[in-house]
Amino acid sequence: MKRPPGESKLEDILRSSRLVAGGFMGSDTRSASEIIEADASDLLRLGITAKQIAARMQEITNIAKTALGNWVFVDGQRKAMVEEARGVLICPWGHLRKCDKRVTVVIFVKSGETVRWSDLNIHLIAEHGFFEGKGSAYRLDPEKLVKIIF
Amino acid sequence: MIFSILVSVFVVSTIGAVLAAVLCASEYFFRSYGPCEITVNNERKLNVEGGSNLLSVLTEQKIFIPSACGGRGTCGLCKLKIQEGAGPLLPTEEPFLTAEEKNSNIRLSCQVKVRNNLKIEIPPELFAIREYVCKCTEITDLTYDMKQFRFELIEPKTMGYIPGQYVQLLTPVYKKGIEEVYRAYSISSDPADKNAIELIIRLVPGGICTTYCFEYLKVGDTVKVNGPYGQFRLSDTNAPIIFIAGGSGMAPIKCMLHHMKNTSNKRPATYYFGGNTVKDLCLLDLMRSFEKDIPNFKFVPVVARPAEGETWNGQTGLVTEAVKRNVKNASECEAYLCGSPGMIDAAIKILLELGMSIKQIFYDKFE
Amino acid sequence: MNQTPEIWQVFVVCISAVFTQNMVLTYFLGLCPFLGVSRELKAAMGLGAAVVFVLTATCMLNWLLYHYVIIPLGLYFFRFILFIIVIAAFVQFIEMVIERYSPVLYQSLGIFLPLITVNCAILGAALFMVIRDYSFIITVGYSLGSGIGWFMAIVTLAGIRQKLTYSRIPRGLQGPGIAVIIAGIMALAFIGFTGVLQGR
Repeated sequence: MKRPPGESKLEDILRSSRLVAGGFMGSDTRSASEIIEADASDLLRLGITAKQIAARMQEITNIAKTALGNWVFVDGQRKAMVEEARGVLICPWGHLRKCDKRVTVVIFVKSGETVRWSDLNIHLIAEHGFFEGKGSAYRLDPEKLVKIIF
Repeated sequence: MIFSILVSVFVVSTIGAVLAAVLCASEYFFRSYGPCEITVNNERKLNVEGGSNLLSVLTEQKIFIPSACGGRGTCGLCKLKIQEGAGPLLPTEEPFLTAEEKNSNIRLSCQVKVRNNLKIEIPPELFAIREYVCKCTEITDLTYDMKQFRFELIEPKTMGYIPGQYVQLLTPVYKKGIEEVYRAYSISSDPADKNAIELIIRLVPGGICTTYCFEYLKVGDTVKVNGPYGQFRLSDTNAPIIFIAGGSGMAPIKCMLHHMKNTSNKRPATYYFGGNTVKDLCLLDLMRSFEKDIPNFKFVPVVARPAEGETWNGQTGLVTEAVKRNVKNASECEAYLCGSPGMIDAAIKILLELGMSIKQIFYDKFE
Repeated sequence: MNQTPEIWQVFVVCISAVFTQNMVLTYFLGLCPFLGVSRELKAAMGLGAAVVFVLTATCMLNWLLYHYVIIPLGLYFFRFILFIIVIAAFVQFIEMVIERYSPVLYQSLGIFLPLITVNCAILGAALFMVIRDYSFIITVGYSLGSGIGWFMAIVTLAGIRQKLTYSRIPRGLQGPGIAVIIAGIMALAFIGFTGVLQGR
């Protein structure tokens, strides 16, 4: 199917390993806009917006940051920690948005379920509604994510 | 009938050929810009062939402008001031430039095509950057997730750098799906070691470059680096020094300490080295030997939470807490920080609270 | 039939090409970029404008080619190939000219040009021109009308799709599925225009 050139450029960058190893799409063959639309309808079903999810993720990351890499309890039911590396990750959408290389790991203590995200994920969800393609190392399934962090 | 077939085929081919010739001629006419002259900083003149973008033209001339996306217009790092000849601002550049930058003629050099003579400004420190071919001669384990790599410089044979600077290591295509990328690492070796550089690298799970270094790079392999980059360095004053660094952040500090030992620098210096557990600490013996060799140097390792089964008699807690406890004369000191952005932000906060001014705090965040 | 002034004929042909004989909604030509590029209004407008320009210009060129080269030399069977060659060459040429003389215009519009080389609406317009035996001036009006009709259709579809971004569309229909359904409904709507230009 023909695509506008801007979208092709975006797809190229999302699939390439230039910004992150393995790219953002994993083994997903759908286009970025299809993935965003599919996840958007999931969000509608769950009754929550991408911006709300991103705000809660940022809240957890801010708490975890203060521990400088050690585990800390976010509230009674969850604990989190951050792993940081030097450098910046650039948003593939091509506007000047640099995110620190910081991975937040969250464990929901009761069930033991874990989820992890990078600062870039928070931005991609907040501004672009993009949860990454299935099979990508940092794919965040909206349903699973909401269950753990809320 | 054969005749008419032949005639038709001939005419159609001729029309095709004529159009192709017209296109070739137009390409030659429209796409060639002839030789162009680029005036750099009002002094140096480069004579280049027009038609490509400024970034690649400068790279061919061995002037390395920082770029993370290889000229695709996604990272915004290749900004340069172009005083004349750049043409109108392109939509692909707009998202990356502030209003102030647009007013001062700053452009993205990977998007500006060299079509005519240009007048540009390049910051002088970019001229010192060269591309080096090196051979990996030693890989040492420092901790469970950190290694030290020694690279002998083959061509050019020496690198003039200031302790605290970093290089960009080129990650080759080491497996399918990986593209060449550059990643920055501080130089950790002794500056007196003229023909080699050492890098301390910590494994980042899923990281493009660190995976290459830990799983694919072997002693004897050739790599390319370019550099040196960076403004992080010791000042010329005599103010007492507070070093704060954890993990691979030790690299530039180690380099600075070698330099202090070599020059018998008498400035009082304390190095707070933070780790989460005891097994995150490394090079303790080297630091102890620095305590003997550098006149007024003290090494303070801090472990956040010793793991079960580890014995630790030194200071505990977050490294920033240790600084808060121990530093009494912050307003007279200078601080040199290297580590994760989180640690640097926390350290700056504590130091400001202790009375230091932001002008006395130097850090390397690798932005 | 009366000798209606040619300028009136041009006007009629142009209007009918926009509404009653719309390239994409009546003849289903140029569907691929129509569905693919209609997600975003800005991209749709850029592509639509490029189609108007290329369609009009290549139709005129192809008319000249047809009447001064193809017919005299008896190359009627080669018209498809020759039209396509001319369209492809023209698009390449224009891309170079725009890139050289207006980089800003190239960035916003010129990047769509390679996309429409194989747009069958462009070839379709040339072939309709041959079948209906239009004169040169009518060809200009016809191709302009076809281009504008295509532009209107894709911009309308893009507007509708953008409005539907946050609607609950069944998973199987998301993307191309719903786009084709919308296009079908638009085509039904345009059928209402038939008979408007009856009786000349």
